[in-house]
Amino acid sequence: MNTTINNKEITSNNGLIATYLIVGGVIIGIMMIFGILMLLAQGGVLDFSPAAFYQFLTIHGTGMVGAAALAAAGVMWYFLSHYVELSKKVFKINLLLSIIGVVMVIIGVFSFKYASAWTFLYPLPALSGGAWGTTGALLYLIGMLILGVGFLLLYIDTGRAIIKKHGSLGKGLGWDVISGKRAEKDAPSPTVVASTMVTIVNTTALTAGAIVLIMNIINVINPAFTFDPLLAKNLTFAFGHIFANSIIYMGVIVVYEILPRYTNRPWKSNRPFLIAWTMSTAFTLVIYTHHMLMDSVMPKWMLIMGQVLSYANGLPVLVVTAYGALMIVYKSGIKWDMASGLAFMSMFGWVVGVVPAIVDATIVVNHVMHNTKWVPGHFHMYMGLGAAVMLFSFIYYLSKVDSDLKPNGLDKFGFVIYALGMISVSVGFLISGALSTPRRWATHFPEWMAPAVFGAIGGVLAVLALTIFIIHFIRYVQVRGKTGSDMNEKKLA
Amino acid sequence: MIQTVAWMVSLFFMLVITVVFAFVALKSKEKQDYEPIKKKWYKARTFYGVTLVVLFLVITIYTLRELPYNQPVYSAGNDPTIVDVEALQFGWNISDTEFKVGEPIEFHVTSADVTHGFGIYDEELNLIAQTQAMPEYTNKVFITFDKPGTYEILCLEYCGLAHHLMIGTIEVTE
Repeated sequence: MNTTINNKEITSNNGLIATYLIVGGVIIGIMMIFGILMLLAQGGVLDFSPAAFYQFLTIHGTGMVGAAALAAAGVMWYFLSHYVELSKKVFKINLLLSIIGVVMVIIGVFSFKYASAWTFLYPLPALSGGAWGTTGALLYLIGMLILGVGFLLLYIDTGRAIIKKHGSLGKGLGWDVISGKRAEKDAPSPTVVASTMVTIVNTTALTAGAIVLIMNIINVINPAFTFDPLLAKNLTFAFGHIFANSIIYMGVIVVYEILPRYTNRPWKSNRPFLIAWTMSTAFTLVIYTHHMLMDSVMPKWMLIMGQVLSYANGLPVLVVTAYGALMIVYKSGIKWDMASGLAFMSMFGWVVGVVPAIVDATIVVNHVMHNTKWVPGHFHMYMGLGAAVMLFSFIYYLSKVDSDLKPNGLDKFGFVIYALGMISVSVGFLISGALSTPRRWATHFPEWMAPAVFGAIGGVLAVLALTIFIIHFIRYVQVRGKTGSDMNEKKLA
Repeated sequence: MIQTVAWMVSLFFMLVITVVFAFVALKSKEKQDYEPIKKKWYKARTFYGVTLVVLFLVITIYTLRELPYNQPVYSAGNDPTIVDVEALQFGWNISDTEFKVGEPIEFHVTSADVTHGFGIYDEELNLIAQTQAMPEYTNKVFITFDKPGTYEILCLEYCGLAHHLMIGTIEVTE
């Protein structure tokens, strides 16, 4: 099980990996700017039309999730390719389809004023109240579908490769180790386990997403074709929740891979680890109903399960993954640098963001906080301070192992202001939520404006930091291969 | 108020997590063998894990006792006032907008077009109850106002370009 793929072969893929990360990183940066503009408008500092605001809202959500997923897929592919034989062709096709999808979405939103938000709740794409037409809706929905098809192909390939190497996806999750049929020492690596989990949940999510997108497309073309809005909502949130959350499960692979190298301590898949990932697989698939706690027409048992399983889904990260990260770092004599520091910060961001998420999944709390800014508060925390930071950690890791480029004081400055910036953005949202401020509102009452301005200032810091990170990575791409660096991953520890 | 409790509880646990991560980061420069650390902290993890499960169970049982979906038990002669609410781009059709303090009310909420959110705000702009306004479905809000005043109905699900202008009012008197 410890057989690794040839190192030279992996290095030859780094250009493609870097393209994934640069495309993802640049889009994330641009989306941050849209986020700041929206917060400034809500804070009364800027004044632009509601149409522009909701277009920004739509592109911000779609772009952030799409770009972060793309970059995280790059991270997962990089490490997974150490263990199984992946298809580079499929990896390239995913990038191409993602770019085509993104371009269609951008044209739909900005040229044809499409603004359904990235959740595109049926029948809003077809019933815009005269704000956008069929062309905009079709460009957006088909663009999303193309993007989804690219990712689906990618996960079919990762699934194929894992099955080929390990025998089945169950074995990729280490079920034979959990059941005692195989020794712990022969368990699949954490990277394979996490990739198997993501493969399972995202093929499910993307299938649900494709179904609801196609139904919306038909409805936009022919409004006589209608379907059940509650079914549509279930499919939309099944897709959206799982796909967005998978970003963090792909990103955490970098933490599993690099902290052991930096600390010289192993991070193996033992039985509790494997059970935790099986729990995450199962819970991630079914807890999307916590997005529907205010739909009392849903079966009550599904809503109660939405709360109970959301709590349970916190356990794997709180008890196993984050705890493991803390243990491996504690008194390890670790050499902190940008990659290891960001990996550690990302675990903090993930765990700290779980708290308001669990609080909001409580039905009686959700009754007065659902669709307030508390919701973006918690996900900006575990996505902005967690998932995105995992991607940045990888950027610095790759540039370290694949070139002689050294981070400088500016990069460290970026580290500090990113942390401060994203904490400010998240806390600004959470305070807004505690004040009952609705999310997705183009304007705010004066009582609600101050936290929005505070968050916008934090956003500016985050954009500055991301610019520093991207500049470092572009510098890496320029010197990659030219420096003749033979530094490989083993030299890191 | 639930929002304050939610914020305080979140803040407390977020600060605890911050302290733990800061402590581990501070201790990271010291160097010790991993085996004794693993032995000690795996044992601690069992206690921590069990504590967390028990805490989640207690909170689950406590918070699931009364759900907003459950129709209250009305006393004899105190039947609720049924109020039909229809959301549409971009306004509210509400069959009755004047109520008395202590009067049990059931808002039966639906939508004529897309999904909206029916959120009831008090005079201090605190959200006190909500449900989704779905086309083809009727969700219910059970509420008895205990304070007089002008309450606002805000749309809490993005529904199009005038989403933030979907504001209605209801009056509650003594």
